Amino acid sequence: MKEKTNSKPAYGYIAEFENATAIYHAAEKVRDAGFKRWDVHSPYPIHGMDAAMGLKKSWLSALVLAGGATGGLTALFLQFFTQVNLYPTVVQGKPTDFSTLPAFFPVIFELTILLSAFAVLGGLLVILLLPRLNHPLLASKTFLKFSDDGFIMSIEARDPKFSRERTKELLESLGATNVELVEDEV
Amino acid sequence: MSALKSADDFPKDGEALNQSKTGLLKMAFLFVGVAALLLFAILAMTGGGEDGEVSRRSMMAYSWLFAVMFFLTLAVGGIFWTLVHNATNSGWGVLVRRLMENLGSVTPWILLLGLPLVLSSDFKNALWEWIPEQAALVEGGEKYAEAHLESEKAKRAKELQTAKTDFKTLEKVTASAITKAGKNKGEVSFLNERLSHSKTKLAELEEGQLDDKALTSELQVHFMRHGDGEHVHGNPLLYHKSGYLNISSWTLRYILYVLGLGGVIYTLRKWSVAQDKSGDPKYTLMMRRWSCGFIAIFGICWTFLVVDWLMVLDYTWFSTMWGVYLFAGSAVSSMALLVAILTYLRSTGHFKDTITMEHYHLMGKLMHSFVIFWAYIAFSQYFLIWYANITEETKFYLLRNTDFFNSYTVILLVIGHFFIPFAALLVRQVKKTPKLMVAIAAWLLLMQIADIYWIIIPERGVSLTGGAQMIIPGAIWFDLLAFIAVGGIFGFLLLRSFGKSSLYPSQDPRLEESLNVVN
Repeated sequence: MKEKTNSKPAYGYIAEFENATAIYHAAEKVRDAGFKRWDVHSPYPIHGMDAAMGLKKSWLSALVLAGGATGGLTALFLQFFTQVNLYPTVVQGKPTDFSTLPAFFPVIFELTILLSAFAVLGGLLVILLLPRLNHPLLASKTFLKFSDDGFIMSIEARDPKFSRERTKELLESLGATNVELVEDEV
Repeated sequence: MSALKSADDFPKDGEALNQSKTGLLKMAFLFVGVAALLLFAILAMTGGGEDGEVSRRSMMAYSWLFAVMFFLTLAVGGIFWTLVHNATNSGWGVLVRRLMENLGSVTPWILLLGLPLVLSSDFKNALWEWIPEQAALVEGGEKYAEAHLESEKAKRAKELQTAKTDFKTLEKVTASAITKAGKNKGEVSFLNERLSHSKTKLAELEEGQLDDKALTSELQVHFMRHGDGEHVHGNPLLYHKSGYLNISSWTLRYILYVLGLGGVIYTLRKWSVAQDKSGDPKYTLMMRRWSCGFIAIFGICWTFLVVDWLMVLDYTWFSTMWGVYLFAGSAVSSMALLVAILTYLRSTGHFKDTITMEHYHLMGKLMHSFVIFWAYIAFSQYFLIWYANITEETKFYLLRNTDFFNSYTVILLVIGHFFIPFAALLVRQVKKTPKLMVAIAAWLLLMQIADIYWIIIPERGVSLTGGAQMIIPGAIWFDLLAFIAVGGIFGFLLLRSFGKSSLYPSQDPRLEESLNVVN
């Protein structure tokens, strides 16, 4: 009989820190160590954490700009083309030319906002890879403390810099009170 | 992130204005302002003009209103930002709050610069047609009443006499007719009704037998509404508005604006400065609590002020969004001025370790949001009037859309007051770069000048020439002179107020929050 193995591949390490200051300074060190696939979870937003983690500006805003511009131009084209070019519609004796524009503004405004909002929602889901039913980190009881009083850092095993021994040593040297290896789902 | 800044590291008495670096500018402002003011006053006093031509003084009335109104919007914006900062319990802007308070504290002085508009009857008559028209109606009404009093009285007495005789006859006739009608109920009730109807009419006529005073005022009202029936037309519109638009209550309201707006900012600034000395947190609580109520005073005063001074430039026109429209422009341009002042003070060595780019970012965000708010209000007002297409309402835009200069100002405002600053302020990095922020602020101030100019000046040509001319050539130089005069005094008063206390509330409990603000 073959020896049965139930060990799954590792998802990565999670490390618990005592407070916001500790995790903030730890994040700076991890950033400087060159890690790319890692994250910090805290019960509340920590000011300046994005800089400490070395996060670049999200490209969501570009997506929203594109969404808004699409919406605005679509509304302008749809109204102008149909009401002025294709079938000039005279309302209250007002001219059907460039000076009809004010009548189109409410729809332009609304559609700009609508498509911007869609771009926010859609872009966010794509960037965050949502929706998903479960996440390997949720298996850890330690990790769940992040929504209560825990300051948790997670480093994924996918990161090229990841090493079972050295990463653990690094986290412990940074003052983590509790380092835990989390298994992947599969 | 560098270590958090502690309020204890900064001097307890705050930072004083460096007089040696800013004193020269202050005196230059004063000198230029007073010189321009004197020149303006001399030109206005000697510009009476002859009958039948447009006098220089009446042209200069519009210039003065324009200059006072523009700087008033800036100063009043200072009150608004102080109120909002206190009422929303904000901590981010403690460092710049004193700038807002100082800007607001100029308001009563600028309102006092508007005193010629209230006192000089030539100025008033040139600007606001309702004042001379109403005065003429009142005067005409008095003459009409005097001339017609006796004849009207005699007419009414005679009418009553006739009615009395007629009624007696009718009573007799009715009595005999009722006896004749006997059991015919319908007939009897008809006769009784006819009699009581006559009685009511008689009572009405008796009520109409007024004493001289009451009859005089009734005749005056009749004259105002209908004229004398021969040569003079009445003005029912002006009569109906006269409950609000009359010279005594208009003047009283001006006094209330000075007291209301001045009182609000005086109180808040006094408490804020008192806290610099004692460090007592009770002032913070007082400012927060009272600001919520003061907002109402501010809103009412400002709304009625712009109705009284700007909307009634044509008293037949009205817009319910007028107050908000002027307020929106005031908020955005005063925030722009605050950014400019802050950068000027930094360039002269103030706020060295205190103000960071985060403050610029926050002020930029407020500027951005109020650029959008202005556009929203301006477009809504235009859109509703454009769509409804009612003559009394559209006349405002018709006038301001006719003639080369006016119509291009409209396009400038749409693009320059909204699209350009909106796009520029979208980028985060722009809001964190003082040089770019000052450029945008200067641009927005320029747009506010254009906006106020576009509101007031198109009235000048049509009002003074009776519609013969849209623009009076050469009058623009008076506008410039008035602008320099009020602007110089405004700049002097502003710099003077900075010298009176610390540049920021040094003992505010939330100073530390503002020092370390991150957004």
